[in-house]
Amino acid sequence: MKGRWVAAICALGLLAGLAGCGHKGPPWGLKDISGLMPALKFTLTDANTGQTVHAKDFRGHLVLLYFGYTHCPDVCPTTLSRLSRAVASLGPRASDARILFVTVDPARDRIADLKRYARAFGPEVVGLRGSQQALRALTKRYRVTYGYGKPDSHGNYEVSHSAAVYIFDRQGEARLLARPTDNAATIGKDLARLDAER
Amino acid sequence: MRPVRPPRRGARLWLAALALWSGVAFAAAVPAGTGAQAAHVAVHHARLRWLPGDLPLAGYFELSNTGQRPRRLVGASSPAFARVMLHRSTHAGGTEHMVHVSSVDIAPGKTLRFAPGGYHLMLMKRRHGLKVGDRVPVTLHFANGRGLTVHFAVRGAGTQ
Repeated sequence: MKGRWVAAICALGLLAGLAGCGHKGPPWGLKDISGLMPALKFTLTDANTGQTVHAKDFRGHLVLLYFGYTHCPDVCPTTLSRLSRAVASLGPRASDARILFVTVDPARDRIADLKRYARAFGPEVVGLRGSQQALRALTKRYRVTYGYGKPDSHGNYEVSHSAAVYIFDRQGEARLLARPTDNAATIGKDLARLDAER
Repeated sequence: MRPVRPPRRGARLWLAALALWSGVAFAAAVPAGTGAQAAHVAVHHARLRWLPGDLPLAGYFELSNTGQRPRRLVGASSPAFARVMLHRSTHAGGTEHMVHVSSVDIAPGKTLRFAPGGYHLMLMKRRHGLKVGDRVPVTLHFANGRGLTVHFAVRGAGTQ
């Protein structure tokens, strides 16, 4: 009898577009993607150290995963600064979070460029670069798309890329999706709640 | 020193009409601060977002048409950069794009915001080093052949 009630409440919740019944508590400010996306997994080069890093190296941290490129003067800096402000809102717990900026333009983004670019947005921002093969594996895993425009007469080209930011908990499980319309305060509030989880 | 005689009445009217038609002052105005004003066009909150190395930078500002006629912004240039382009970021189906814009129209009485995630200037190939706190002259070019030079403040990477 009780189970039937729970199922009915879940169905109502889903109908109303609220968060599913997988996690307890009030609805999140961001989109709850628990159970809808695979756990964090990658092998890339960390621009800060020049060394190979794996997703498991970030276990114990909240991870914000974003894809972009350094020759992106508008949207990428705007997003990174929004994420950085959200992380800063954690106060002394800000060091619990890492913003992973994965370049979708590895041909143009050298490790040194990526390192300086990531650093400009704060100490918690980590630039990551991989081969096209490694990048394809990661973007496919999170259904992230990217594409290259035709180079102009100066050799410059535009790179289109997904705007989504995936947020993972300390165990590397995909939990939340932040979109361009989500402000730093909304992201910060959900990060604080994730950070308080054991 | 010879006294300067005011122009004849007919010439005065002609000059006034030309000023109205052109929409911008005859000499490009370069006032202090990040705002600039010329006849019927005003620019406020002009700023550049600094990025390291020689990466392209975004320029943001608010452009107001205070006149009676539509204005068309057709480009921009700066002695500090080899190239400046009008760009617009667009968001469709979860994907971010950046497109080159050849011109932008501003209706009379309207203000167009060049702001993060939308219209912006893309400034490429620095001619000299830039740091946060610098002021960089940028000339906005209009379809009527007039230009307005504005000093853009160089702000940090986290600028909104």
